[in-house]
Amino acid sequence: MSISEQQLLNRLQEGKLIETVDQMSPVYMEGMKRILTVSADTELISAPAYYLAAQDAPSTNAYLSAMSIIQDELGHAHIAYRLLEDLGVNKEQLIYERKPEEFKYPYAFDVPLETWAELAVANAMYDRAGFTLLGDVYKHTSFGPWKRALAKVDKEENFHLRHGETWMRKINEQPGGHEELQRAVDWMFPLTMEWFGLPDDRKKHTEQIDYGFKGSTNDQLRQIWMSTGIPFLQSLHLDVPVHWDTAEQKYIFDFPFPARFVADEKRWLFEEGQSTWDEVMTRWKARGPMNRKFVDDIQRGYNELHGNGDGKRTWQEVMRSEQ
Amino acid sequence: MVIKKGPPWLTEARAKATADELRLWAALEEVEDPEMPVSVVDMGLIYGLRFADGRTHLHLTFTAMGCPCMEFIISDIRERLLQEPDVSDVTMEIVWDPPWTRQRLTPKGMEKLRTWGIAV
Repeated sequence: MSISEQQLLNRLQEGKLIETVDQMSPVYMEGMKRILTVSADTELISAPAYYLAAQDAPSTNAYLSAMSIIQDELGHAHIAYRLLEDLGVNKEQLIYERKPEEFKYPYAFDVPLETWAELAVANAMYDRAGFTLLGDVYKHTSFGPWKRALAKVDKEENFHLRHGETWMRKINEQPGGHEELQRAVDWMFPLTMEWFGLPDDRKKHTEQIDYGFKGSTNDQLRQIWMSTGIPFLQSLHLDVPVHWDTAEQKYIFDFPFPARFVADEKRWLFEEGQSTWDEVMTRWKARGPMNRKFVDDIQRGYNELHGNGDGKRTWQEVMRSEQ
Repeated sequence: MVIKKGPPWLTEARAKATADELRLWAALEEVEDPEMPVSVVDMGLIYGLRFADGRTHLHLTFTAMGCPCMEFIISDIRERLLQEPDVSDVTMEIVWDPPWTRQRLTPKGMEKLRTWGIAV
């Protein structure tokens, strides 16, 4: 059962939240499923992505912090998939029966984080992007159950950000540390900016904002990220190719955006000038180097047990094959 | 500057403290847990503090052996204490006995956690 678009918009105008499926219109339902899937997939894939670099931890304590962040991320993923279940989505199918390229998370996670320094920069930049996006959803979402869950998510993401910043400060003081951070920032900063999606002149936000899926546009969210991210990076004397425009009261990119990216080499082809968003979307859709491995990391155990890969096996068989 | 009320462990610690040590306890009230806006004193993490000849020695614990913030807390405490002009050295000893429980939260810590949305 659902309500009409007009009934839904009337409800939102009265300042009421949407609490149950029968308070949703078809457009609202589809939109909420889409945005929750992106959120859930992003949190889920961040776990294998961060785990790859966590193995480079310089101490047991540092490893513990990284594993704790991964645990938080899995918790956040679980919350979003759980809400999708309430909307009638089959969670098992969604997580275990989609092809790797069908997962909907930012392209940035398809490029491997291979060192502790890259993990620190990812916590400071990618988690800041997550914090910016989810902070916006927390403030503006019209879906009550998600809003309430995000109160906790928001606080935990803040810790991830702090983890990244603290480690970046430490690494920056080590011999060769500054250069290592700079290399990571060089390839990760433009990917972080891509994270927020198409520019406002390419994307209509009316539905997303009218329906209370989010409060700020993609370009506004990029500026919100930069309002804290850029001063932080500059405090470590890291070069970031942007400048503050006092007339426009916003940050302006000093590099071609969007641009072409050689994922295997973690290198931007800025010398080729600006690329097109169509080209970027083709790259996003084709996914990057780690997509297949990370999805496989998540799906393998389930598939071994339920036979989506090499025939159905029982728990006993799975246990025996381990011996 | 002065810690007014608290659970028995804190009252006892204060009673034994010198004026300088009381000032350092107050300084530690400015060091927040990285995950929650509650100080390490109000969380009940500080088991003891001694100060002599510029040297501060702390006994502290964590809420769990798997606490993800141990390094942060240690370095935040060191950084804050070294800001005191008469502190030149900070050493810390991690203790697990007695284990941390909620009983070690100060009334202020409890109130802050509740306001922040955590049931205690």
